[in-house]
Amino acid sequence: MNNLCTDIGYYSLNKRGEQLCGDHVDVVEQNENSPVIVLADGLGSGVKACILSTLTSKIISTMMAKSMPIEECVATIASTLPVCEVRGIAYSTFTIILIQNNESADIIQYDNPHVILLRNGKNLVYPETASEIGGKTIYRSHITLQKNDTFIAMSDGAIYAGVEKSLNYGWQRDNIIDFMETMYDSGFTAKTISTILLDECNRLYGEEPGDDTTVCTVKIRERQPMNLMIGPPANPDDVPKMMSLFFSKEGKHIVCGGTTSSLAAKFLGKPLDTGLPVYIDPEIPPTSKIEGVDLVTEGVITINRVLTYAKDYLEDNKSYEHWSFKRDGASMIARLLFEEATDINFFVGRAINPAHQNPDLPITFSIKMQLVTELSDCLKKMGKRIKVSYF
Amino acid sequence: MKITVCIGSSCHLKGSRQIVEGLQQRVQEHGLDSRIELAGAFCMGHCAEGVNVTIDGERFSVHPETLDSFFNSEVLPRLQ
Repeated sequence: MNNLCTDIGYYSLNKRGEQLCGDHVDVVEQNENSPVIVLADGLGSGVKACILSTLTSKIISTMMAKSMPIEECVATIASTLPVCEVRGIAYSTFTIILIQNNESADIIQYDNPHVILLRNGKNLVYPETASEIGGKTIYRSHITLQKNDTFIAMSDGAIYAGVEKSLNYGWQRDNIIDFMETMYDSGFTAKTISTILLDECNRLYGEEPGDDTTVCTVKIRERQPMNLMIGPPANPDDVPKMMSLFFSKEGKHIVCGGTTSSLAAKFLGKPLDTGLPVYIDPEIPPTSKIEGVDLVTEGVITINRVLTYAKDYLEDNKSYEHWSFKRDGASMIARLLFEEATDINFFVGRAINPAHQNPDLPITFSIKMQLVTELSDCLKKMGKRIKVSYF
Repeated sequence: MKITVCIGSSCHLKGSRQIVEGLQQRVQEHGLDSRIELAGAFCMGHCAEGVNVTIDGERFSVHPETLDSFFNSEVLPRLQ
């Protein structure tokens, strides 16, 4: 066992005019530390391609997760996929990344652009063995994992980006490697890396992709626990219990909410330093400081913004340019939760703020609880391990 | 003199930022930087009367529209 884990992030651009994507990514956990990631690209585009790629990725990921040999997976796909009437073949290309206990990765590739492996930000040429299965040439590789290894899988839409537009023949895998080496930063999440490449593809396509384009990044990183507390406990007698449980947890500590911050400051015996409020974002209340707490912010308004960023992150990640560098409370929480953390403990107090029980105020107790539920759902979808404790 | 502005959720929605920035501007205009210390504070427990502002511990309810009269009738006389 090691302290590594996988961060998986992917996104697709649809071919212009198409509502469905002909590429499909599936992630299945064989067990806790061994995910199977399949990226399939169906023949053609639209509904047909979508069905082909969805079937392919579902069949492969499910079978691989049950430790079936690749030969059987390919045979099953060949005999299951509907045959295209126009072309007379049943066809979907695929890339499989099989992580074993966060110690090794097996890559199995059929006809997609080959996976790019960045080790510490530099391209690593990994050995491949070719074999024939049911008339298809399949390339296999076995790689021992290191921290920060970044696997970038893509559909051929990525390397065709720019054909007939800004480039004559699109850009090649080598150009993508150069681009990704230049852009690389060890702090980027898998999703960010995927969207950086997709944004560049979209730009080369003149924002009208000529083919479905998908990028799926798998990043090997260390586990990083994080703790976030919001709201005082329903029963005031539980304050010491809640605080001591919270502060005894490993990892960084975020405290949200005015009353909660005051209680935390009292518990730690340190002053709550609000200083002269600085408004970096006019809509987000300023942060403050308590020695021993990594970040102190306001509660609902800030968390509400974090939730907006989280929903966007799961889609096209467009608001990354807002939260990735700003120093307001919401952006800082977003960076800590989305980028830094892998395991997040929420400590949620269920006290009803008497000051908020006024019909003129837009903050209600149910909104607060709902925010936490929605945010933890989003974080789970990002692949984080979430634990929510109520007090 | 220390003026503290509540920056809790509720007061924030009622205009803490305008109050903080308005006060900063007025303090500068009157050249009072050395005599007035501005600070923020979390919830003072009087959300319904926000935005809550205290002058040396005494609490006032200020709105962005009433900031001028607050500054002229509460802040300036106290410095005489």
